[in-house]
Order: sequence, then structure tokens, then C-alpha cells
Amino acid sequence: MTEAGERAWRLSDGEWHRLHPATPLLRGGIIFIALLGWVVVQFRDLWINIFLGSVVGEEPPEDPATSWILAHSWLAVLIAVGVLVLILGFGWLSWRMHEYRVTDELIEEREGIIWRRHRRGRLDRVQGVDIARPILPRIFGAARLEISMAGSDGSIRLSYVASRIADTLRAEILIAAAYRRSEEAAQQRPAAAAQPGVVPAPLASRAPAIANRVNAVVADFMAPELDQEVAPESVVEMHAGRLVGSTALRLAPVLLIVIAGAVAAGIWRPFTLIFLLPILIAIFGLAGREVLRALRYSIAATPDGIRIGYGLFSTANDTLPPGRIHAIEIRQPLLWRPFGWWRVRINKASSSAREGGSGLSSSTMLPVGTLDEVLRVLGLVLPDWAEPTAFTGTPPRGRWLRWFSWRRNGFAFDDRTVVIRRGALWRTLTLVPLARVQSVAIEDGPLTRAMGLARIEVHTVYGVVSAHIGALDAGDAAAMWRDTERLTLAALT
Amino acid sequence: MTALAAEGEWQRVSPKYVWVDLVARFVPGAIVTGLLFIPALASHLTWLFALPAISFIVLVIVLAFTPRRVRSIGYRLREDDLVFRRGIMWHRVVAVPYGRMQLVDVARGPIARAVGLAELRFVTAAAATGVTIPGLPEAEAEALRDRLVALAESRRAAL
Repeated sequence: MTEAGERAWRLSDGEWHRLHPATPLLRGGIIFIALLGWVVVQFRDLWINIFLGSVVGEEPPEDPATSWILAHSWLAVLIAVGVLVLILGFGWLSWRMHEYRVTDELIEEREGIIWRRHRRGRLDRVQGVDIARPILPRIFGAARLEISMAGSDGSIRLSYVASRIADTLRAEILIAAAYRRSEEAAQQRPAAAAQPGVVPAPLASRAPAIANRVNAVVADFMAPELDQEVAPESVVEMHAGRLVGSTALRLAPVLLIVIAGAVAAGIWRPFTLIFLLPILIAIFGLAGREVLRALRYSIAATPDGIRIGYGLFSTANDTLPPGRIHAIEIRQPLLWRPFGWWRVRINKASSSAREGGSGLSSSTMLPVGTLDEVLRVLGLVLPDWAEPTAFTGTPPRGRWLRWFSWRRNGFAFDDRTVVIRRGALWRTLTLVPLARVQSVAIEDGPLTRAMGLARIEVHTVYGVVSAHIGALDAGDAAAMWRDTERLTLAALT
Repeated sequence: MTALAAEGEWQRVSPKYVWVDLVARFVPGAIVTGLLFIPALASHLTWLFALPAISFIVLVIVLAFTPRRVRSIGYRLREDDLVFRRGIMWHRVVAVPYGRMQLVDVARGPIARAVGLAELRFVTAAAATGVTIPGLPEAEAEALRDRLVALAESRRAAL
């Protein structure tokens, strides 16, 4: 075991531990710098007087505050030192009072000097642990650990811990959580662990999850070295050219609309073009940020789940147990078609679904990739998945509702997922693992009913992916509704 | 779809819920109708009285269909899941496995409380599930809640 490993192993002994010493500076860093800037600007006259006084000559300062300070220089220095000591003392105290511990059952965090805040999360509710390294903490060798909890429990953020223990601590929390879960399951369902895996995703039903987890835990213990620092090999390699090209093509329609609008406005009233600039800057800024983030994209399977890394300057690593993925969408904008590029997005169960480890939209699993790469990424979630050959589609009378896409509109089941295919201009394929389906609805309205059509909506956790399909034959839709429910129940037990 | 809605025994909500629904729709409808008189009265344009008239007709139609709409609400406790349906023009039938329930809420609005009714709300991890059974007698709502909690407990699955 490495030294970092030993250190971290001692960290989950149920004792209270403090965070990285630079934490107060990093958390209050922006405020501190802003304050410093304000002081510099506010007392410009003062600095000129102190440092350049002899050069420019003793001009009486105009600013009353500056003249007061010059008149009482010792007092001013005393106040400045006092404030500095106060800030440092406060920071030191807040660091002393900010602690966390990992016990057999809980993760706890407590902080605050006057108002104490105490958060605790049950280990068996841990969904995943993300590591984020924004640029400033990275310089200090610190990282943020975000432990997301199931359901509405929220998440616990340890900001910041030392980078060198972050990975081990993460692994350790996940292992402890797995132990906790398997212990609990052993009490509740003695036979659970003996069941063979029905669904590939751990956590799908608990049975295979526990088996996998326990195996992983055992493997970890048997291994002579627990070296978490070695990043597993990514299954997809990101090419800069493709990334830039795909982003440009994706934004091209928006840009065209903006430019067309600008031309129209320019003919009408040229000065309105001024307003165009911020819009363009925003668009390019967004595109640039996305490209930068995805440049160092990597995705790989680990015993804890799928590990997605991204970010060039501020890096982030999200580890996603496959069971946390509730829906997958493979999508192709019209302009990507000549190049055969696709994008993979997911819905995941997490309180931090809106933001990933570093405030990036973590719903993107693969920013851009060829079909082959998409299938490799899919293979991490659903091993050996292949697109079903027979889709139940839209009947001829439904063409009026799906002008372009009636040929593609359809659904299919395989043994683990319900597959929905939609769209001709924006080709979309949505996969929902049956064990993840929350509920299923069938709907119709006066018009669709008259046409003998209906709509199905498969409900998953909140996210960007929506699994619905309309313009189905009413009979087919009813069959799909029944089958989805039947297969979901089968996957649950 | 129609076949789906017809098959099996559906549990209906209390007929008293018609009154709750009537009041809940009448009050905002009447306020809107009243407000729509303002443009006509303020401008002395006779044709503007068409606005409150239209609003009134819509309100009457909506209210006239209330008993029918309330009858369309139904639920069924099957072996492993709950099926809920509602709607006369826009049908919607939802199936929720018991194991997916995270919470069961019993809520009582002021009007419903006056006639001794409550509504039962199921919460799953998906916001779109949206299953709320209105118009249950209070005792029945609580019994149903306890039963659903027990069912959910016995079929609990990981999220």
C-alpha cells in the first residue's frame, strides 16, 4: 500500500479529521482578492504618497481618508495589522472547526464558529463520489470531494481535501458504502447475494450489485497494492479537430439565425448591431468553454463504476455506478450526419444532477463520437448491447403527425431496456433500462383518438433525456404500456 | 387505450368530490369572468361584453362536465403496481410499481376538508409520474396510505 493509501485508510477510522489547510483561503479566496483590489484602488493616493512621495513631491492628498491615514500612520498600520490578524485568525479558526469523519455507518461534516452546521449522510445512501479540481485549488494541491446521496438527502461537499488523498478517500467511501449496503441486505434478504445477475448494472436490483461490490471489495483487499492514482485507460480518444468541428456545426444554426437577424436589423437601423457583439461573444465563449472542457475527455470502466474525466485547466472526475444511469440518449443533429457523429447524454439519479463536479453539465456522457465509439461507451453501461432490429412503428395513418420521421418513429424491447427511436432531422435513440423505469403512462387526445393513435411516456428521474413516443397505433401503444410495466416489475424482483 | 380504461374493476373517487371540483373551478372562473367585465365597462364599447360572455360560456361547459370528469378518475391496486387513470377528452393511464414509491402524502384542502375528503399523492423519483388521487374519504385515504406504504416496503427496490 502506498503512503497516500495508508494516510487515507487512517482517515476513515471514525475519528474527526480536518480539511486541507488552504481551505479558508480557497473558499474565501475571491472575496479576499476582491477586498485587496478594493483597498488598492480606494487608497491610490496613499500608495503614490508612500512609494513615490519623494519622486512626485509632497502633494497634499485630496482624499480625506488618505489624509487621515497619513496623519495617523502608526494607528493606520495597527488597524491594518489588526484586520489582517482577525482575518487570518478567523480563517484558522474556521479551518480548525471544519471537520469530517467517516464511520462505519455515516459520513459526517461539521463546520462553523458561531453557527455550527452539522451534516451527516448514511453510507448506504451514497450514490457516488465526484472529484473536482478547479484551477485555484489545483495550484494548492487541493481537490473537492462531492459525495452525492440518494433521493432528497442532498450531497456532502468536502471542500477542500488534499489532492493526494482525494482518490483514496473516494475509493474508501465507496467501499465502506458497499459494505454497509451488503450488510444491510444480508439482514433483509439473506438469499439476495446468491441470485445470478439479471441486469448488468450494479444497484439495478440489489442482488447482482452486492455480488459485484463484494467481489470488488475482496479484489481490492487481495491486491498487494491499492494504487488509485493510475488512471484506467479511456475507451474513447477525443480528437481536437472533431471536437471543434462538431461544436461549430452544432452552433451553426444558431449563428445563422443571429447573423440573419443582424443583417435585417443592420439594414433597418445600423446602430442596433452594437447589441450583436455581446451575443456573439456569449456564443463563442460557450463554445470555447465546451471545447476546452472536452479536450481532455476520458471515459473508462473501474470497479466502482464508469469514470468520466474532463477539463483542461479545471479538471473533474465523476465516477458513475452504472446503476445510477436511468436513461441514455444517443442523438445526432442534422449537420453531424455527413460525418457520422453522435452525442450521448444521460439522466442520472443524483441530487447534483444539474451540475457535475465542477459545475459542468454532467449529463453529457460523450460529447461527440463515431457510432463505433458510441457503442463502446454504451458497452460500459449495457455490455453487449446492440440496436434491436425490429421496431414497432407508426401506422400509415400516423404519417400526418410525423411528416419526416414516420419511418424512424418506433419502439422496441430487448431483455434489459426499452428502446425508443425518434426524429428524422434530429435523430434520437433513447434507452431506458427496465430496472430503472419509475412509471409508465399512456395518453391520447381527441384528435389522436379519432385517428386511433396514442402516446407513451416512460418516466425516469429528472434530467435532459425524455423517453416518450407519440403517433403509435393505439393497440401497439397499449401493448407497449403493458409490456413496459410487466418487464419493469420482472426486473425489480 | 379505451380497452385499457375499460378492463378490470376501477376504484372510483367519492361522488362528493364533484362539489369540491365544482367550487375549485367555479371560484377562479367567476373571478376571471368578473375581471373581463372591466374593459367593457371602462371603454363603453358594447362588443367588449363578448369577453365575459365567452368566459361565462366556457365556465358553464367546464362545470357541466365536472360530474363526468370526476367519474373518469379511477385507480386500481394490482398485485405489484398501482394504475391510475383520468380524463375524458385527454385520457391518461399511469402504472406505478409499488417498489418505486418514495413517499405517500395525504393532503386536505379547505374545500375538501369541509366535505370530509382528502387527496393522496404518490411521489416517485420521477416528477413526471404525477399520480394524485383526489376525493377519497379521509379514513379511506389513510387506510390506503398505510396499505401502500406496507406494499412499497415489501417490494422495495434500489433507486
